[in-house]
Amino acid sequence: MGSNSSATVPIVTAHQLSKHYPGVRALDQVDFTVGAGEVRALLGANGAGKSTLIRMISGVEAPDDGWVEIAGARLAGGIRDAARMGVATVYQELSVIREMTVAENLYLGNWMRSWKGIDARSQEREARRILDEIGVVIDPGREVASLTLAEQQIVEIARALHARPKLLILDEPTSALADHEVQLVLQVVRRVAASGVGVIYVSHRMDEIRQVADTVTVMRDGRHVATTDVAGASTARIVELMLGESHTRSTGDYQPRELGEIRLEVDGLDVPPKLSGVSMTIRAGEIVGLAGLLGSGRTELLQAIAGFRAVTAGSVRVNGTAVPAGRPLARKRLGVGLTPEDRKNEGVITELSIAENVVMSDYAKVAGPTGLSRRRIDESATGMRDRLGIKVADLGHSIGTLSGGNQQKAVIGRWLHAGSNVLLLDEPTRGVDVGSKAQIYQIMRSLADEGAAVVFVSSELEELPLVCDRVLVLRGGRLAQQFMAPDIDTAELLTAAMATTNEEN
Amino acid sequence: MADIATPGMGERLRARWTRLTSSGTGLNIIGLVAAIILLYVVLSLTATGFTTAPNQMGLLRDAAMIGVAATGMTLVIVAGEIDVSIGPAVALSTVIFAKAMTALGLPAIPAMLLTLLCGAAWGGIVGLLRARVGVPSFIGTLGLWNVLGGLALFTTNALPVPVPITDPVIDLLSGRILGVPTPAWVMLVAFAVFGFISTRTAYGRSVYAVGGNSRAARLAGINVAKVRVLIFVTTGLLSAVSGILLTARLGSGNGGAAQGLEFSVIAAVVVGGTAMTGGRGSLFGTFLGVIFITLLGNGLVLLGVNSFLQQVVSGAIIVVAVLLNVILSQRRGISTTD
Repeated sequence: MGSNSSATVPIVTAHQLSKHYPGVRALDQVDFTVGAGEVRALLGANGAGKSTLIRMISGVEAPDDGWVEIAGARLAGGIRDAARMGVATVYQELSVIREMTVAENLYLGNWMRSWKGIDARSQEREARRILDEIGVVIDPGREVASLTLAEQQIVEIARALHARPKLLILDEPTSALADHEVQLVLQVVRRVAASGVGVIYVSHRMDEIRQVADTVTVMRDGRHVATTDVAGASTARIVELMLGESHTRSTGDYQPRELGEIRLEVDGLDVPPKLSGVSMTIRAGEIVGLAGLLGSGRTELLQAIAGFRAVTAGSVRVNGTAVPAGRPLARKRLGVGLTPEDRKNEGVITELSIAENVVMSDYAKVAGPTGLSRRRIDESATGMRDRLGIKVADLGHSIGTLSGGNQQKAVIGRWLHAGSNVLLLDEPTRGVDVGSKAQIYQIMRSLADEGAAVVFVSSELEELPLVCDRVLVLRGGRLAQQFMAPDIDTAELLTAAMATTNEEN
Repeated sequence: MADIATPGMGERLRARWTRLTSSGTGLNIIGLVAAIILLYVVLSLTATGFTTAPNQMGLLRDAAMIGVAATGMTLVIVAGEIDVSIGPAVALSTVIFAKAMTALGLPAIPAMLLTLLCGAAWGGIVGLLRARVGVPSFIGTLGLWNVLGGLALFTTNALPVPVPITDPVIDLLSGRILGVPTPAWVMLVAFAVFGFISTRTAYGRSVYAVGGNSRAARLAGINVAKVRVLIFVTTGLLSAVSGILLTARLGSGNGGAAQGLEFSVIAAVVVGGTAMTGGRGSLFGTFLGVIFITLLGNGLVLLGVNSFLQQVVSGAIIVVAVLLNVILSQRRGISTTD
């Protein structure tokens, strides 16, 4: 274990924790200690083992090997046991009930009762006390829906606190917040730690980490790589620890491409609350990667470009034509196609067949003299199947029967069917097997070669150098940096995405 | 005559059968057809007067009353919405149509157009409230239920408004074409038209897409708001059509007519296999649902079941039918969702 600057009583100690999932070693003999009153930042790339470690400590899963001690006692059981011993976890997604008051949320499932039933007044009084303790002024009688996102996040934290935990685990608590809202949450975290609670703070925003954390633990490939003082470590150093030797670069034999006309021109776009002043120009034949941490506004930017999100300033030109804000249908006609990040809930319609999921972007193309023609639908879908290599027995089956990768290809095919030449692909490789990933890269390449402009959002930074001609990095609501192939390197991308504003290289 | 032994044909039939039985909708349709046949046979044997020509014609008229509106309702429910305003909408339509002919002195055809326009208009209002403001369609149409019902009774003092039954158009609407009651023809045309719309037009498929997953439909560039407005315009229009037919049948506009019709219509659609959660359903299923509900109502009357008890029986049977439907679609759901 690395040096632990705040030499205090350990609140949580993990001893040689190991966990295997089929085909993966998620945790490999990890030792980990957090002391009372310490805020420990926990970092690592996707699949580094952060979440697995948290699941072990909070009792969601049991380790294959090793054990966890909470305040000196060995953790034996599941979640309830861990909670009883003083572990509280706040997960990334807000789980407050918006229609209920702050106090009701704090005591949900844990109601204070008197002989008259649920004692709302005592609940409010206690809620006010808890909120006072962490130094925030929120009226416990207010409906959660009326609070800002940051305040809702604080209610979430307060809920974890009323069981008087010894260890508080926060999993990317600021990812949903705009930059200016973050301070409130950081303040609360500091107050909580000052009261003697140990805090594990998962985040990749170095800005925040420098403000709240004392020490940082970096994980990679299921292993504990290093624990050091935050003050002594530069962002570049931490990135190096996160990536090890494994960072990818664009291949050396990268050939600059002939770029065609301007397909997409974004000028000074403000998308509240996440983005401001975003400008970029993308030409035919180009694949532009969009990198940024969770919550950096990548999805918001794509949605704003496609017209699905309100903008307060700026303009978007598609294939030379300016489109007024918020006109998704007009932008579709001009050639914009967006494949959403959440494929299951926003991409596919499982009630409909694969063929219908493909042609739904433009029914006119499959209409005959007597309405939609089954033959044309089949032809179009079959054409797309062959072009994109969708592996499917029968295009008439529900799209729900396809694997993730093939679903993704079908959703991309939907936009090719519509004739889109500005393709905005939001995490197209998420939840997709390795083979399909390579196929999706190839599809992107050939679409660009055929004259499309492709915007590729991915949180797996190592895939950006493989396919992109250019990568833009979003940080703090702006396009902070640009990298051109062949000089795209995962480590530099990550550093740019995580950096504090004053330490750009 | 045709040789069934042709292997190609047999195979094709078998393939169709497999497809039918492997889908929840297909099983639902098979079940409904069986139930209808069973009901028909039992009623023929037990209910006196069931098979008589007048009763069969009456059945067709009753079916039309439910069926015309049920076509549009199918699209509404497939889109994941609901319209509970059908009964009062039909009642007010009879009043508008009758008043237009008498008080305004319009000939039958313009009076009809006026009625249709009114129906489309109030449907459009609810649709806009749903699509643009986000008022849930249950609430919007519940409000409409009250407003239209109140207007129908207020403007007539709950008294019938007689129409000139000598008018040739009225005569045609209340009479028969080729021996079949005109409303039944209207219903068949409505089913043909909406069957086509639902399977063969961009609008129809958009309705399924919106009902299946409105977020995905929106991101695929489908005009979700337009779909949501149009489905309610459709049910408004069809209520007006039903109102016009009912006026001709009754010989008058009647503010209290068609009470409870919305429940029969919704029941027919749901019994016909359309999912209340949206995205799934067929006009053919609805057609069978309409026949089932009509037969059931007619049979209970002919068997002399106490009219209060009739409600209990038909209510219970409808719930059981829907229950079977839900169980079927759940079984299917487990086998296909990942």
